[in-house]
Amino acid sequence: MNQEALPFDHRPDPVLGAALRRALDPGDHTAFVARVLAGVDGARAAVGTWDAVLARWARVGVAAAVLTALAAGYLVGRATASGGAPAIARASVADVLIAPRPQTPEVEVVLASVLEH
Amino acid sequence: MNPDSPPQPPDPAARIAQQDEADLVARARGGDRAAFGVLVERYAGVVRRVARVVLADPDDADDAAQDALLSALVKLDQYDPRRPFGPWLLRIVANAATDRRRRRRVRRTETLDPGLVAGGTRPDTAAERRALSDRLRQALAELPERRRVAVVLFDVEGYSHAEIAAVLRIPKGTVRSEVFHGRRRLRVLLADWKEDE
Repeated sequence: MNQEALPFDHRPDPVLGAALRRALDPGDHTAFVARVLAGVDGARAAVGTWDAVLARWARVGVAAAVLTALAAGYLVGRATASGGAPAIARASVADVLIAPRPQTPEVEVVLASVLEH
Repeated sequence: MNPDSPPQPPDPAARIAQQDEADLVARARGGDRAAFGVLVERYAGVVRRVARVVLADPDDADDAAQDALLSALVKLDQYDPRRPFGPWLLRIVANAATDRRRRRRVRRTETLDPGLVAGGTRPDTAAERRALSDRLRQALAELPERRRVAVVLFDVEGYSHAEIAAVLRIPKGTVRSEVFHGRRRLRVLLADWKEDE
């Protein structure tokens, strides 16, 4: 045992380590390894089962989302068609610039207006 | 292992040869049962000891160790092969053991017999080592869980402070402190034992 060790010794204590190893060693690793390996298939099967469950839930979820979207679309379309007055949209600057003018004033009218002033 | 890792303990059985470990992990991840078997054989000792440090009861510890190894198998795709496998696995083991202990809510550890710790009547038979082991287990059981895991990983398994910090998810300085305080308690016990001899 390393009795002279500093408080924060960076080296493992070989005597203490060996004593602890003996105290904690459960022995018969072969049986333990066999036991673990016997559980491998079960563990993988459990994962497969969970994957299958999650996949099934996912399929149900996607189907429910599609149905909800279709229903919502139908209801909105029906409400629009049944007569609600279309909302008056405020024209944007781009709309004003792109839209054709209803009527272009003739040159004479413009000239007369200028001369009057 | 980190470059600043300490010298290895005299019995390096628990120090895992890592040269082909990444390959074994990759094969096990791909469903190679034999590769997983090699990993289990390599780590069975340290995994069982760490579980026992947490749970004290050997049967509970083996159950937790088995659960942890199988859990690691199904989580292998989460393992980063650029990092050492041991600390990753031991974190799973420590968590599994701690969870099991919390679920049980019953610690089957006996309270430490002050007479034993003080170096009471020592059997002068072939059972000496067994008696010392009993004392050490009892002394370990008195330490806080994190402290005893830190001591065992450092002094028994030879992991560095940095690796233990990764296992326990605590700062390296805290690991040093835990190892120091744990050792101090156990060394007193061991010294008493030596003096009795």
